[in-house]
Amino acid sequence: MTTSIPSPSNVVSREEWLAARKALLARERSMTHALDALRAERRQLPWVKVETPYVFEGPQGPCTLADLFRGRSQLAVYHFMLAPDSDHLCKGCSFIADHIDPARQHFEHADLAFVAISRAPLKRIEQVRQRLGWTFPWVSSHGTSFNYDFGVSFTKEDIAAGRAIYNYGTPIKNSEDMHGTSIFVRSDSGDVFHTYSTYHRGDEMLMGAFMWLDLAPKGRNEGDGVMSWLKLHDEYEASDKAKDGCCR
Amino acid sequence: MTKHMTGTRQEWLTARLELLAAEKEHTRRSDALVQQRQALPWVRLDKPYRFETEAGTLVLTDLFQGRSQLLVYHFMFGVDYTAGCPSCSMIADGFNGFAVHLANHDVMLWAVSHAPLAKLLAYKRRLGWSFPWASSLGSDFNADFNVWFTEAQQREGVAEYNYRRGGHAMDATPVPEPVAQIAATCGTDVVTYARDRPGMSAFVLEDGVVYHTYSAYARGLDGLWGAYQWLDRAPLGRNETGVWWRRHDEYDKR
Repeated sequence: MTTSIPSPSNVVSREEWLAARKALLARERSMTHALDALRAERRQLPWVKVETPYVFEGPQGPCTLADLFRGRSQLAVYHFMLAPDSDHLCKGCSFIADHIDPARQHFEHADLAFVAISRAPLKRIEQVRQRLGWTFPWVSSHGTSFNYDFGVSFTKEDIAAGRAIYNYGTPIKNSEDMHGTSIFVRSDSGDVFHTYSTYHRGDEMLMGAFMWLDLAPKGRNEGDGVMSWLKLHDEYEASDKAKDGCCR
Repeated sequence: MTKHMTGTRQEWLTARLELLAAEKEHTRRSDALVQQRQALPWVRLDKPYRFETEAGTLVLTDLFQGRSQLLVYHFMFGVDYTAGCPSCSMIADGFNGFAVHLANHDVMLWAVSHAPLAKLLAYKRRLGWSFPWASSLGSDFNADFNVWFTEAQQREGVAEYNYRRGGHAMDATPVPEPVAQIAATCGTDVVTYARDRPGMSAFVLEDGVVYHTYSAYARGLDGLWGAYQWLDRAPLGRNETGVWWRRHDEYDKR
């Protein structure tokens, strides 16, 4: 994804730039239309009725999958990697989480509810939420098969036996937890259906910062280390904040 | 909604794998497009644009704040508006949350608008934002980057937005109802409203010289509407028949 900054020999007149830009625009347009078609195809997926009576632990007590819709007909679940018995806090998931509150204050008004779900106990979830200041609903699936059923957690036995498969085909060799997004819908009769799950690079479009970097001259600029530059938003050095101070 | 086709897990998986192949192909094509975007030539900028900011009057090189790249969101807040555009506000809600990550990755992100600084700052306080926002009032910046047009250009139909004349909903006669609705929420008539346009521009600073590398408008900004990225995964999709979005402090609490 990385390219070096081109040499100044690539500097041209406004007219020459415009010709190149218009040629690129034609390709961008075709991609926009292809993406529209892909979205239409996504909405055609059949739905699968969820039969397992999952019970999650939330700040207000135990709740079911249907409860998480909070009166809406659609539910987006972000499978946030936060495991029991571990202090590890995933930077990538935290990066995605920084995008969620700004987006959900709009999309929750378009009939789509949001919840993050992790295997860690609620106490740990609440610690992380308080530290990073997120307000989105976040519940624990601790003790349920939810994460395993939706392909984001894997037992040690399955990993050892080579049966742990992520993103519909990638064998998992060590990590018991991975990230993803699953979508559910609730029918008028109260049944809940699973419609869609996406993993790995399927989650990239939810990271608006990447969408902006993809328009920048250096692109994602990550070298060989995907997201190697990333920190938790409260871990960037104070000096960087000071640098921005004049405009804050 | 219960009329939608349901299936077994196996049937769903077969359909999902087919879609996954299409999604992967799209990701690869997007990666290639990003490469082509980075391969665009650059245009040297010598015009001394001046901006009013919280830190006083700044020039374009100042906006980089020690970074080598600058992304500008051309936020529609015209001189005569009483509030910023609600669609731009939704995009701004997104980058307000992650600008800190970009600022620590060699990229400064600024919003730039035509309205006087005092108006911008009052609106910024109202919506609780922290990203830097500059007023380009009195400079050619908005006109040069094709996000503002004169009354004459508008009247004569020679305004070129998104690299062509006409063709955009904001240029249509009569103006589509959603555009008129949004104009009303900005406290302007639709003709005045449509003289400002949304867009983004990218710049790079090298050896003290600023180069313009890229600008996008209209649906070229699709990827920057964070909320849409979620709706696009939902079974009902964007599910819109008109303007459903509001400024984030204007929704009924639910």
